Amino acid sequence: MTVTTTSVDLDTARSNQQQRRMPGDHGRPLTQSRGLARALRILSTALIALWFALPFLPLVLWSFADQWMHPAAFPMETGTDGLTAAIANGGGRAFLHSLALSLVVAAIATPLGAMAARALSRGQVRFGKAITVLLFSPVMLPPFAAVLGLNVLLLRAWVPPVVGVVLVLVAVAIPYTTFSMRAAYAAYDDGFDEAARTLGASSRLTLWRIHLPLIAPALARSAFLAFLVGWSDYLITLVVGGGHLVTLPLIIASSASGVGNESSVAVLSLSAVIPPLILLGLIARSRNLDPGRQR
Amino acid sequence: MTTELMTSAITLTSVTKSYSTTAPAALHGVNLDILPGTSTAIVGPSGSGKSTILRIIAGLEDANGGRVRLSGRDVTALLPEQRGISMVFQRPLLFPHLTVLDNVAFADRAAGVSRAQARKQAREHLEMVQMGTFASRSPQSLSGGQQQRVAVARALAAKPSVLLLDEPFSALDPGLKDEMHAMIASIRAAVNPTILFVTHDRDEASAMAERIVVLENGQLLQHDTVDHVFHQPASLAVARLLGGKNAFAGVIDNGVHHSAIGAVAIDGDVGSGRATLVFRHEAVTSTLRHATSGADAAALATPHADAAACQRLGPRELRGTVTAAVQRGPRRELVVRVGDADVHTEAAPGNLLSVGDPVTVSLPCEALWTVPA
Repeated sequence: MTVTTTSVDLDTARSNQQQRRMPGDHGRPLTQSRGLARALRILSTALIALWFALPFLPLVLWSFADQWMHPAAFPMETGTDGLTAAIANGGGRAFLHSLALSLVVAAIATPLGAMAARALSRGQVRFGKAITVLLFSPVMLPPFAAVLGLNVLLLRAWVPPVVGVVLVLVAVAIPYTTFSMRAAYAAYDDGFDEAARTLGASSRLTLWRIHLPLIAPALARSAFLAFLVGWSDYLITLVVGGGHLVTLPLIIASSASGVGNESSVAVLSLSAVIPPLILLGLIARSRNLDPGRQR
Repeated sequence: MTTELMTSAITLTSVTKSYSTTAPAALHGVNLDILPGTSTAIVGPSGSGKSTILRIIAGLEDANGGRVRLSGRDVTALLPEQRGISMVFQRPLLFPHLTVLDNVAFADRAAGVSRAQARKQAREHLEMVQMGTFASRSPQSLSGGQQQRVAVARALAAKPSVLLLDEPFSALDPGLKDEMHAMIASIRAAVNPTILFVTHDRDEASAMAERIVVLENGQLLQHDTVDHVFHQPASLAVARLLGGKNAFAGVIDNGVHHSAIGAVAIDGDVGSGRATLVFRHEAVTSTLRHATSGADAAALATPHADAAACQRLGPRELRGTVTAAVQRGPRRELVVRVGDADVHTEAAPGNLLSVGDPVTVSLPCEALWTVPA
């Protein structure tokens, strides 16, 4: 079924012209630093990178150091004693507990945060400002005071300790996921959903085929934040969990309070750092693979 | 087939819409019939309810009252996906995570068609809008015009009974708009969908539609052919909304309208009493008048005596002086002072008229129309 229309050559030419960079376009001379400014930019970037990377150097060195005495600049003997000790101290099981806890917190807090964010950003919620403040209250309250109060409540309600940990961590994570998704929904065009509906897609199909893929990068960022809340928590797991749930931060803290097990602490600390970094890399990679992303 | 025997493609009956209890209603009891296979433009100022009508027909907004029927079927309570319509929006809204081909195949995929079959049909629709070679591209790599072509192909791929267009070409430059109008004309020749579109561009309305609906403040003022809406407006408001600049309040007596520009015979049965004379400035030309041919006058020495005389004697002529001149592309718009009134005209071809020039304004009978005062 072909019909004759006017040529699209002119339009194609415009398209090609649009792909050509023009003065004022992103990344062009006006926005590119030069000379001294460029040197300062590179130097400051290098310093910040060094600032972030430097603390990891002793950790890496310590994790392979079977013997490292003062005043030696580097380990005198390297090996896997630290790894062996970390596993013997329950590091492996604590790692799995932390992973499971963080994934559960992310799996619950992300959709809840997304739904809250969508409702708030659309202005569908009565007393939206008050509810926003309420949502953020877990972050605003002093954690220790809040956790002690909640712990009493959870104990009296006969809530199992592990469930209690998840409940409280989800409450702490929701402000982050809501805030993150709210920014995403502020930029989201509901027109995409409307276009899908007028093309015959049901609300469920629109959600799965259009809405979720379009907000996937924001959901991933939001889930990452919620994961971090669970992954890095110490206080809530300690107080509410009451020892029923031993996670990586708890093992690290107890190991670090002892003397002479620096390499074990280093291995545990590195194992706490690596999963978030891997997740961050995956998020960045998924954005690069996005077929709709302009190249 | 007569109009009476045809089932309307779209029927709105007493449709009302309010977005809030405090704001004025967006639509007041709108009644509208659109025949199948026709192209109709909805024009009106911002906030007149143009897009609201489209969104109510599409099911994207619920009407507070009234019924919506598509091909005789009451769809008032149906969801958008159950109505058999497609809509092209002001922004192309191509799904950025899908290729151009999969965007166009989306409607078939939603209907349960296999991926291979949906893509095969999508290629046909892309060819229809001359975008076949862009099938594997991402939407963001296309220009605005190309994206809107794909959006039209995507809407057509849903095989809608009614195609709704909500200012689809308003963001495009004039050259691209002309291409789009030609594309729509080709699509109409090929698949003849019923088209209802919103535009704020009067030229676009007349280029793409054979009928125009004029809306103001949520009320339907006129629904008529393009020629009638422009040259025989139902009211002064319609004349103004469609860019009419000449309106002279007066009285009709024995088929002759008397106003500040003098006595002007009106063709046809126009009754008598108070009425406003309107005519398009594009239909009225001015030519240079030699100074010796007489002074400016609000009326000719021998005004047409009756309506029949108007047709018999040819164009009515007024004398005046140019008080303003504006060049619009190849056309030169003039304001000519005739007696105590300003008449908006265009300079006749070859007349390089300027402010102060004495001119003769020629009023063709067919251009003259009266509306209730």
